[in-house]
Amino acid sequence: MQTPKIDLGQLGPIIEKHQTGRWALIPLLQEVQETYGYVPPQTIEPIAAALNLFPSQVQGVITFYAGFSLKPKGKYVCKVCRGTACHVKGSRSILRLMQKELNLQEGETSPDYQFTLETVACLGACFLAPTMMINRDYFGKISPSKVTSVLGEYHKK
Amino acid sequence: MFFRKRYNLITYKTQQIKGVIPLETIALTIDGKKINCHADMSIFDAARQNGIKIPNLCYHPELKPYGACRMCLVQDEKTGRLMAACVTPAAAGMKIQTATPRIIRHRRNIVRLMIAEHPESCIVCAKGNRCQLRQAAANLGIGETDLYPMPNHKPFEEANPFMIRDLSKCILCGKCIRADHELVEIGAIDYNMRGFPSRPATAHERGLEDSTCTFCGTCLSLCPTGALSAKNMQFVGSPAKEKDSICGFCGVGCRLSIGSSENRIVEVNPTHYSESVNGATLCVRGHFAHDYLNSSHRLISPLMSKAKEERQELIPISWDEALDLVAARLKEIKSRYGPQSIGFMGSSKCTIEENYLLQKLARVCMGTNNVDNGGHVYGQYQIRILDEKTEGGYRLARLADLKQADVIFMLGADPSHSVPVMAYYLKRAARKGIPMIVADPRRTELANFARIWLPVNPEGDLPMLNGLSALLMEKGSADQTFIDRCTDGFSAFKQELAGVKLDDISQQTGLEPATLKSAVDLLSGKKIAFVIGHGILQRKCAHKTLTAILNLSLMSGSLGSGRGSIFMVSKENNQQGAMDMGAAPDLLPGRQPVDNGGFREIWEQNWQTKLAPDVGFNMSEMIGAAEDGTLKALYIMGENPLSALPQREKVKQVLKKLDFMVVQDILKSETTAMAHVVLAGAAMVEKEGAFTNLEGRIQSFYPVVSPPGKAMADWKILDQLYARFGSTEPYDAIGNLRNEIRQFIPMYAALNGHTEAWIKPTAQKTAFNIQGADQRISFGPVFSEELTPPEKNYPYTAIVGTRRYQLGSGTRTRASGRIQDFVSAGQLEISPADAAVLDLNEGNTAVVRSPWGEIRRQLRITSDLKQGHIFVPTGTNGNDAMELFELAGGTGWKSCAVQVEKA
Repeated sequence: MQTPKIDLGQLGPIIEKHQTGRWALIPLLQEVQETYGYVPPQTIEPIAAALNLFPSQVQGVITFYAGFSLKPKGKYVCKVCRGTACHVKGSRSILRLMQKELNLQEGETSPDYQFTLETVACLGACFLAPTMMINRDYFGKISPSKVTSVLGEYHKK
Repeated sequence: MFFRKRYNLITYKTQQIKGVIPLETIALTIDGKKINCHADMSIFDAARQNGIKIPNLCYHPELKPYGACRMCLVQDEKTGRLMAACVTPAAAGMKIQTATPRIIRHRRNIVRLMIAEHPESCIVCAKGNRCQLRQAAANLGIGETDLYPMPNHKPFEEANPFMIRDLSKCILCGKCIRADHELVEIGAIDYNMRGFPSRPATAHERGLEDSTCTFCGTCLSLCPTGALSAKNMQFVGSPAKEKDSICGFCGVGCRLSIGSSENRIVEVNPTHYSESVNGATLCVRGHFAHDYLNSSHRLISPLMSKAKEERQELIPISWDEALDLVAARLKEIKSRYGPQSIGFMGSSKCTIEENYLLQKLARVCMGTNNVDNGGHVYGQYQIRILDEKTEGGYRLARLADLKQADVIFMLGADPSHSVPVMAYYLKRAARKGIPMIVADPRRTELANFARIWLPVNPEGDLPMLNGLSALLMEKGSADQTFIDRCTDGFSAFKQELAGVKLDDISQQTGLEPATLKSAVDLLSGKKIAFVIGHGILQRKCAHKTLTAILNLSLMSGSLGSGRGSIFMVSKENNQQGAMDMGAAPDLLPGRQPVDNGGFREIWEQNWQTKLAPDVGFNMSEMIGAAEDGTLKALYIMGENPLSALPQREKVKQVLKKLDFMVVQDILKSETTAMAHVVLAGAAMVEKEGAFTNLEGRIQSFYPVVSPPGKAMADWKILDQLYARFGSTEPYDAIGNLRNEIRQFIPMYAALNGHTEAWIKPTAQKTAFNIQGADQRISFGPVFSEELTPPEKNYPYTAIVGTRRYQLGSGTRTRASGRIQDFVSAGQLEISPADAAVLDLNEGNTAVVRSPWGEIRRQLRITSDLKQGHIFVPTGTNGNDAMELFELAGGTGWKSCAVQVEKA
């Protein structure tokens, strides 16, 4: 599995933008994550140097938050809700179906970097249970047939 | 970490230090006992101070409170609330209970949960009964856990020769991480992940040897469980006893707690004594390299050289035979060739008592001033200029005072490698916000902590200091009150500085005028603490540079102000003490010049003898004198000149010419192999004595184990030899020797065998003694120095220096099994630009050639060097770095012109 090539040239301006701010690390990491889809490990040292932190501290923050990832993710990140309400409404079967459809286990990314499958504890939309998210789009009251059609749409894109 | 809770306590303390909140005493009740404490204290500290013990796992007095383990839960009687005592500030009128049934229940649950996650490996764990988790479990009566065991297995990490991380035993107290961030400021590890998988980890989860870790071992000593343990330690059992001693490596003189079992050193940790220079920290040498004491290269008996089948062999003899032979031969040579035909090398690694005795042997029994010590190689004798100007007043420089400085100016020093514990002080000061300026051709680790890095040319320190002084003068930032009260010759100095031209300075130093000006802005109007390293001391013109530093120090009113001292990096543990004891060709004990009739008279009276009036040979002059045949015999104590001096093939040939050579040492070396008689001495853990560290702290120590085999404490050897010259009574006990030192050397009036003492300030100068007479320190002349013209055939500049894994010529560190196993030390460093020009890649071998010799080293490419410079670490490979220098001249062994090419 070849890691996708990234352009580290974009990092400089991001660091510059955030360098002077107080509590700059998290906004900075968010922008890096936004730009590359993940936080490339090779950016840890330059970020740490710019913010006068130890590289280990920067990595500590990245690994602490689920929102940051040190591994490249797919173009579409599917988050299946495994919260209580969704669980009651059968989200376990939804997850199984997703695993079968995408041929991925929880936390894995497809070799072509199209899809990443994740679970989350709650998406805060319990009235739509069972729910899932793909990138920034919500899908509520999902059923096996809806899962297939939604994934079909994304496969086509 | 900043996103974690910042406890009110920390803010409160910071405000108090800043003086926002005044310190007041408050009264509270803990376990029914009425106590008083300062308002800035936590409940835990208040209880501790009053002898009330609260269980804990994550508390350490030198670390910021953290509240991770929750073992220190206490209950507020009024509200019934449970609080972690270590992070809750004590408040007036509080009523606290520390061991109610409810608290005990909570504590039991905490420990039960920890044990459930802990592997069942207590039987083979090296931590044994010293494990704090085991102690806590025992105190709370927790045997086998009744909870479902969920051991959190992590793979061992043991690719380095120093320590093992078994994170399955980690209880997440965070002591290792906090020590790393707060005490040693390396930042190699931090918490990774969260919840159950949470563990301390390096950046990119690499092994410690591939991280920024320096293996100082501080984490290891603080770890409450067996998660961190020293390598090559398992199955030797825990130490049967622990005793304090002083580290024998660098000049910081860390106090060690040495664990021994059956007369063998099995463990080294920082002392528990809280007033020590090192506190809870150590460095890789102090912590891990002391396994050299158990090395098979130790000398265990006196030896004598005997011809056997056409070659010389060293055979064991008895002490009486050896000492009789030495005394007889020395007497014979003295009567035949005169006193000046014998030379003595004292040791910057031996105790003050031993150096005193050795120089007395030379001066009184032999009648010669040919006595020196290993500090010579590091330019120690050049410091004399400061001693003369200030009467030694600059010498009391407590490292703890660094945090009082207005600004720290480091010159030619790389303490992170040469004196690591001093570097921790500097880094902590820098983190506290004290601005730091680092002048060094290389971008050293501390340059990253500095406000300004001055990448000065290797020979540019003197012009740089002149330039800075001139610019400061122009700015009008001289401390006129101090100058008027304490100094002389300011107007002449001012006039001389007026002649300094900024353009010339810029050209000689390689620094932009703007960079110099920014440094001046930072220095202006502030008291300056100077940190002077071997980039200054090991140069031929060191006395000139030191004069310039003293001038700058006087001009800014720093000296004697408490906020700015002159800190001198000493590479070896007793470099200061050896010189104080007169193990120098030009100095009598107490650093009194031998060529001064007055001082000589005092010592003639002290010793009831006649002293030679001329300055003797220094270490390199002794080699020169042996070459031309004036020196016939050499007595070497604890030095390895064959490894420490340049041009060793020449030194070897010269030593062969000697009629008689005695080497007194603890390890077999190139030098002992050539000796006629070898006397087996004892290492610092095997004898009694004292060392003086770079602060001026005199630290006494007692034997922890007995010397190996027939080896004997060096002072005893010298004393017995002394007795054989028959002129005076032998000392017999070290106490008698100390009495004499105390009596004759005012600086050492406080020397005693029990506790640590400080050298007594004897300077009468007004700058150090306001009540004293009007004695002024005079400004020195503004020197200039011809720069060595660049040589066409040798286009590169090799800078030679210490890497933290080796010390000095590396005789002892190379005998350490752990250090030997650590292969990554000793690589030649080169800039990426030069590597490209020479077509060299990381890991290639390069040949470095100077007019005097050549060496081969593996390569490491680093952007910390400027183009045209290479860095050669000393100590490794038989200290072959010295091959690049010329022996004659006797100093300037810091940088030289070389060729570099691919091997």
